[in-house]
Amino acid sequence: MPRPEPKEITFTIDGLEVKATEGEMLVDAAKHGDVEIPIFCYEPKLGQPVGACRMCLVEVEGIPKLQTGCSTPVKDGMVVHTQTERVHDAQKAVVEFLLVNHPLDCPVCDKGGECPLQDITFGWGAGTSRFIEPKRHFRKPLEISPLIAIDRERCILCYRCVRYSQEIAEDYQLVLHDRGAHSFVGTFDGHPYVAPFSGNIIELCPVGALTSTAYRFRARPWDVETAGSVCTLCAAQCNVSLTVRDDKVSRVMVRDHPEVDDGWLCDKGRFAYQAFHVDERITEPLVREGDELRPASWDRAIATAAAGLARAGRHTAALVGGQATNEDGFLLQRFLREGLEAHDLDSRLGAQLPVELHRALAAPALQASVPDLEFAHAVLVLETELMDDAAILDLRIRKGIRRHNLKLAVASSRPSALDPAAEQVERFAPGGVGRFLYELASGDHALSDWLRDAGQDVVIVWGERMGGAPGGANALRALLNVAGNLNLGEHEGAGLLAIPAVTNGRGLREAGVLPNAGPGLKAPVADGRGAPEIAAALADGDLRALYLLGADPLVSYPGRGAWAKALDRATTVVAHAGVLTQGIREHADVVFPSEVYAEKNGTVVHPDGRVQRVRQAIAHVGNVRPEWQVIADVARAAGFDLGVLTSAMATKQLFAAVPFYAGLTAEGLAGHGVRWPAGDGAAKAPEGDLGPFTLEAPAPEPAPTHGQLRLGSWRSLWAAPEVRISPSLQFLHPGSSVELAPDDARRLGIEDGVPVEVAQNGTSLRGRATLRSAVPAGSVFVSDETAILTGALVEVRRA
Amino acid sequence: MTKLLFANIDEPDLNTIDVYRRHGGYEALPKALKMSRDEVQAQLESSELRGRGGAGFSMGKKVSFLPHGAMDKYLVCNADESEPGAFKDRELIQKNPHQLIEGLIIGAYAADVNRSFIYIRGEYQYQADILDAAVKQAEAAGYLGERILGSDHTLSLVVHRGAGAYICGEETALLDSLEGKRGNPRLKPPFPANQGLYQGPTLVNNVETLSNVPHIIRMGAKAWAEHGVQNSTGTKVVSVSGCVRNPGNFEIELGIPTRDLIMGLAGGPREGCTIKFFFPGGSSSPVLTAEEGLDIPYDFDSMAKAGSMLGSGSIIVVDDTVPVVEVAKKVAKFYAHESCGKCSPCREGTNWTVKMLERVDTGEATPMDLDIIASVQDQIIGHCLCVLGDSMAMPIGSLVRKFRAEFEEHIERAREARGMGVTVPEPEPVGIAGADPDVGPY
Repeated sequence: MPRPEPKEITFTIDGLEVKATEGEMLVDAAKHGDVEIPIFCYEPKLGQPVGACRMCLVEVEGIPKLQTGCSTPVKDGMVVHTQTERVHDAQKAVVEFLLVNHPLDCPVCDKGGECPLQDITFGWGAGTSRFIEPKRHFRKPLEISPLIAIDRERCILCYRCVRYSQEIAEDYQLVLHDRGAHSFVGTFDGHPYVAPFSGNIIELCPVGALTSTAYRFRARPWDVETAGSVCTLCAAQCNVSLTVRDDKVSRVMVRDHPEVDDGWLCDKGRFAYQAFHVDERITEPLVREGDELRPASWDRAIATAAAGLARAGRHTAALVGGQATNEDGFLLQRFLREGLEAHDLDSRLGAQLPVELHRALAAPALQASVPDLEFAHAVLVLETELMDDAAILDLRIRKGIRRHNLKLAVASSRPSALDPAAEQVERFAPGGVGRFLYELASGDHALSDWLRDAGQDVVIVWGERMGGAPGGANALRALLNVAGNLNLGEHEGAGLLAIPAVTNGRGLREAGVLPNAGPGLKAPVADGRGAPEIAAALADGDLRALYLLGADPLVSYPGRGAWAKALDRATTVVAHAGVLTQGIREHADVVFPSEVYAEKNGTVVHPDGRVQRVRQAIAHVGNVRPEWQVIADVARAAGFDLGVLTSAMATKQLFAAVPFYAGLTAEGLAGHGVRWPAGDGAAKAPEGDLGPFTLEAPAPEPAPTHGQLRLGSWRSLWAAPEVRISPSLQFLHPGSSVELAPDDARRLGIEDGVPVEVAQNGTSLRGRATLRSAVPAGSVFVSDETAILTGALVEVRRA
Repeated sequence: MTKLLFANIDEPDLNTIDVYRRHGGYEALPKALKMSRDEVQAQLESSELRGRGGAGFSMGKKVSFLPHGAMDKYLVCNADESEPGAFKDRELIQKNPHQLIEGLIIGAYAADVNRSFIYIRGEYQYQADILDAAVKQAEAAGYLGERILGSDHTLSLVVHRGAGAYICGEETALLDSLEGKRGNPRLKPPFPANQGLYQGPTLVNNVETLSNVPHIIRMGAKAWAEHGVQNSTGTKVVSVSGCVRNPGNFEIELGIPTRDLIMGLAGGPREGCTIKFFFPGGSSSPVLTAEEGLDIPYDFDSMAKAGSMLGSGSIIVVDDTVPVVEVAKKVAKFYAHESCGKCSPCREGTNWTVKMLERVDTGEATPMDLDIIASVQDQIIGHCLCVLGDSMAMPIGSLVRKFRAEFEEHIERAREARGMGVTVPEPEPVGIAGADPDVGPY
């Protein structure tokens, strides 16, 4: 449903005439007149008000009883009083009631100092209590999950966490047990509350009843500073507020951005900050001596790296990982292209795509924004599992369905968490997305009609990995045909939203980290080779040096065998790394310690084109240096001056080099970023061929012969090194899992949980079998960081 | 006295369709179906029938609040009669279920509703079985289902049993419970007439209200409204219980002196006893002393004027042998036990009041605590999400106010009995029943 038109009205509050938007609740409208009405249970993010805590009682002229300001929509001409004796008495009464069973343990409570109950008691309470009876008692604190402690004595039963679980996360795990004064919050079956978004209840809690086990007793509000930044742990790029104590990040909270995260965080974003301060992190440069990587001075590390790269010259290649900022990628491509005259560099994992397609898919008119997901008539989620790829968008779509009658279709090979919420579910075999899109574009598919009839605002959220798979280019052309058929480019609230395989996939592309495109998707001096070809060229000896900026091809790139050979032959491997993963440990000659995002300054680009600022919150740990600076130092030592002395200079260079970033400044991005496709830059975007394309039907995939299954893959939200090394989060780090349909498993004699082997042409992969009834027969899915190998036929057997 | 609802009530097998029909049952239905929906609604409105569940809102008006047009609308009959002192619906269902069903069908016709439910209190197993059987009979006879009696009216009726929560008698909590959720009251507005069951417009009516409908249609609104007094038309089934010689349900015309009801029909107090006070409208109504209440007419307005309410029409009589502290404790405990816990004043207020009354009972209180009790009741009234909090605060407030001397005397005696010592009870831990004490519930 399209966004409602706001209408301005005037009402009177405490004798003051105030303008407000019609339909706003009184507690919100009152703020326009600088009047605060105290609240506990009210939280607009949770949907409709429930009026449970009764804290917001106010007097409305013409209504005999006091009204709850949280649930009374403001009307034109309404006269409201919040300072009468009647209102004061009622508010004092509610505070007294809430404190009846609330322990006064503020001095040892984590919430003390930032506690709404404390503030409201001071502001609106009577200052004394007449309650001398014993309070209610519970065992406390208990772990409601490994991440969250619950203190039921402090709970004021405002229902926020329960409503969150039921109506926002829709995991339906939290409930209220018992009734009356014996009510308490718990999970329905007594199991721990483990869910991808569980941590949000800590921030929702208006008292110290729900606390983070990782933050518990670590700091008081007056000990800490907060710093705003952007989480770069996944493509959703949620805005965060980092709680810093003694130059350490000790907590991550939301920094409400309605157009990015809607004020929620996933548990990875909330708790993986622990990875910033663990021993596993590399905090000083390492240089290879024989078989070992040994700590070295910066001077030596830079000189060694520069010498190796200068020797290789144009036979140097670079891979840029997803957490790199635009500036890091931009500077590195300049170093390679201008300094070394090398042209082989890539930020994508899979096969190369024609630059034309990159430009077409970035066409400003085709870009959907995050709020469009909520207000569209229909959304098609195409070959991506949002829960894993950009978790917070999963909540956004659920919100659209719940509040704005959004209609949802899911078309994917692997069953999705959004399936139950979808009106239409299309399941194709892994690798079958090209055929599906071909049919959808030619109108031969039932979903074609559904999308056409759904309304004018249709948003297609598509997983970018499908472009890197075989036949990817044609699949994307078919996608552009679908967009053309539906006129997505012509409607304000419609469009495409690509979910990149890595956090800053979009930004790195725009900064020129593609083999066939320079900054701003302009044609480069010479076309280079993409990731798969780089591997081959290294193995052939045609390429000799490899620069890895936050990437380990043995961990996160497809074609492990080819990469192992490539790294073996490479004469110089320079890497920026946060932890020693296999490829780095065995093959890197120089390792520069990577920054974590809390140490970084720079910009990233959200999948919907919003350029956002990552800002430094803590000093660099140990001997870590900024990545832009290291790149510049290495370049200088190799004889090429990038001309940057500060991160601000790097940003300036980048904005000057990318035409559609024209007019952007770091200051202008401020806290909320700027969506360039909706701004002045849109006119300067390179034009791409939007089709329609004449396509041939994709050849049918070879049928599985006896016993074989079609291989699909996914990368779990939790499959990240940050999760693995965060003490309180590591229980969520997934082992290698192999998902099978129960029928296939029975035929192959595989039970749930047993170790299995997935084999193809002599290479194999091991994992634990997970039987999932939603998996279509004939398919098998392996959890894999690359999540790009789809469509191959494999054998699955008990290990 | 005229009997409408209770006419032939003791006829054997009145709960079967044949006997009901023999006494003129299901004659109002065809008559109503021949009228237009607006005409039926006009009849209900002009009869001035007021809801018999407690709030006393005009039924005809409620029907008219439902939006017109084709949409999923519902009628829900509230048979969750759980108020201490009320047992009229139980007899109406048990002995004459078809009267209710006929009224419900006519009400649904007037409101243009095609789906209906009877939400019956879980403890009323026997009555629910009777209702189930009666619904089957009505379906077989063509009074329920598609195109009832050849008209354009279609209606399904489902009997749903509650699970033992008083709060589910509150109409919005009832709707939540019916939807399969925890039975908690909803915020109003939106009122059920606009957004009720499954978000659809919903008419919620009490058993007795709907049971009156066939009589209004049969007699005509004007003739029916001649019974009773102005603003309290019709007859009312009153449950009288407590310290009387002849407790039970009595159908009266509204507006007769309360004395006739308690002293006459219910037989008055036992020998040698005098009436101390009574609850005129169930345990949630402010009490009236014998002097205050016996001589006022038993109708909606007179009771409100006297500072109490007619409520569901359930009189509980308390004589001079019963200590007022006991009554107060029992009432407060009931509501503290039944509070759903959603809103703070009710959840904490009822629980606090019980704790204070217990101290009064054991003599650990002072007269100042009586002031706190009274003040806490004032803090509850009008501040809650639904009326459950008020339901305790009103009677307790009235008891403390009207019998303060007796409360003080009780404290004094109890203090003496226990030798003035003060003991503080050990707090009891609360948790999930059966949970492992070492691990604790999550």
